[in-house]
Amino acid sequence: MPSSKDPVEAAMPSLPEQKVGIVACSGEEIAEGTVARLAALKVLNEMRRGQTVTICLPLFLAGGEGDRAFAKFHPTITIDGCDLRCAAHGTETYSGKPAASIVVTELATEHGIDGIQGRRCLNQAGEKAVEVAADRLATLVDQVLGNDKLPAAAAASEKPAEVDDSSAVGCSCGSGIAVTILTIAGQSVEVVALPLIFEKLREAHPSLDEAAIRELLETVKIYNYVPPEAEASWREVLTREFAAYCESEASR
Amino acid sequence: MNDGKRQVVIVPCSGIGKAFGSVAREAGYELCEELRPDTTRLVALSKLVLGDEQARERVRQCPAITIDGCKLMCAAKLVKHSGGTIAREVAVLDSYRQHKELKPDGIAELNDQGKQLARVMAEEIAEVIDALIQGSSGGSHA
Repeated sequence: MPSSKDPVEAAMPSLPEQKVGIVACSGEEIAEGTVARLAALKVLNEMRRGQTVTICLPLFLAGGEGDRAFAKFHPTITIDGCDLRCAAHGTETYSGKPAASIVVTELATEHGIDGIQGRRCLNQAGEKAVEVAADRLATLVDQVLGNDKLPAAAAASEKPAEVDDSSAVGCSCGSGIAVTILTIAGQSVEVVALPLIFEKLREAHPSLDEAAIRELLETVKIYNYVPPEAEASWREVLTREFAAYCESEASR
Repeated sequence: MNDGKRQVVIVPCSGIGKAFGSVAREAGYELCEELRPDTTRLVALSKLVLGDEQARERVRQCPAITIDGCKLMCAAKLVKHSGGTIAREVAVLDSYRQHKELKPDGIAELNDQGKQLARVMAEEIAEVIDALIQGSSGGSHA
């Protein structure tokens, strides 16, 4: 069994380190909200799987500080169903300014798509709008990652390895992100996104002070369930792992 | 359409990362489009995130039923945050525990079991809505 001092990088996919966050309004009241949701899922699941990650919009208000750090952690593209732009405004207000935004109604007009209906089950115009919105979203993801400037062969080599589990979305729960196995409170635990979190934290906090440790725990909680009763143990192990990471980076 | 009768606001979570969020959404549609179209009104959670005044007013004026896909209970929290009164908090996970044979799968497209779970939940919630409507109309009659 791996010890906490000897973390095993398990199921570490060959992913680019930077992922683009996608936040969809998912507006339940209108069909365009369903278009936004399905276009986001298409990009997350199929078109740019492994390069994108998402979070539920309401978590910016209903969640904690860690959730609100999402758009600071990931360059984010929002996709809204209508010009209320709930996802764009919500993301900017509570998390961070999006790198880009899409509004389905505007995109539909631009492409001559008329009569989107069926918030529960989209009609043909709605399905066409999903295709167009997903294409635009994927293009924006490439632009944010800089893949649009790479030669075709190099861009292809940047693509993540295929993942078999078709039910998983690159959601903030961490599907597709690096997994590290640690022993915490005597139990072997999979911790998601730790290398990325360490890297980001080290940039923000050159020294391992109380603020850094607090932010470390809160950020880890975005991607991992930390049982309240085990929080002290998590904090202890994460602090030790982060110190080791900083030491190894400093000796490079 | 509603003829001046009291309405109940339905606020499903807009969870996008797990199938349970899609069940919440589907249950909301089942209620508002099929089971109780005259006495319910769907409110998009994203509007409450935005702070849209019309949506906030709606949850303040009508009793709300929230349907959440995970333990974070975003829908319930945001209705309270908006000053609304929650008549019933429904959690998909609780319903799933009672109907283990209906295991939801798929986010963009729910599997049949997920749709059945949504239907079962919607039927249970419809009874709550009926009681709320009867309760409110009973008070206004002699």
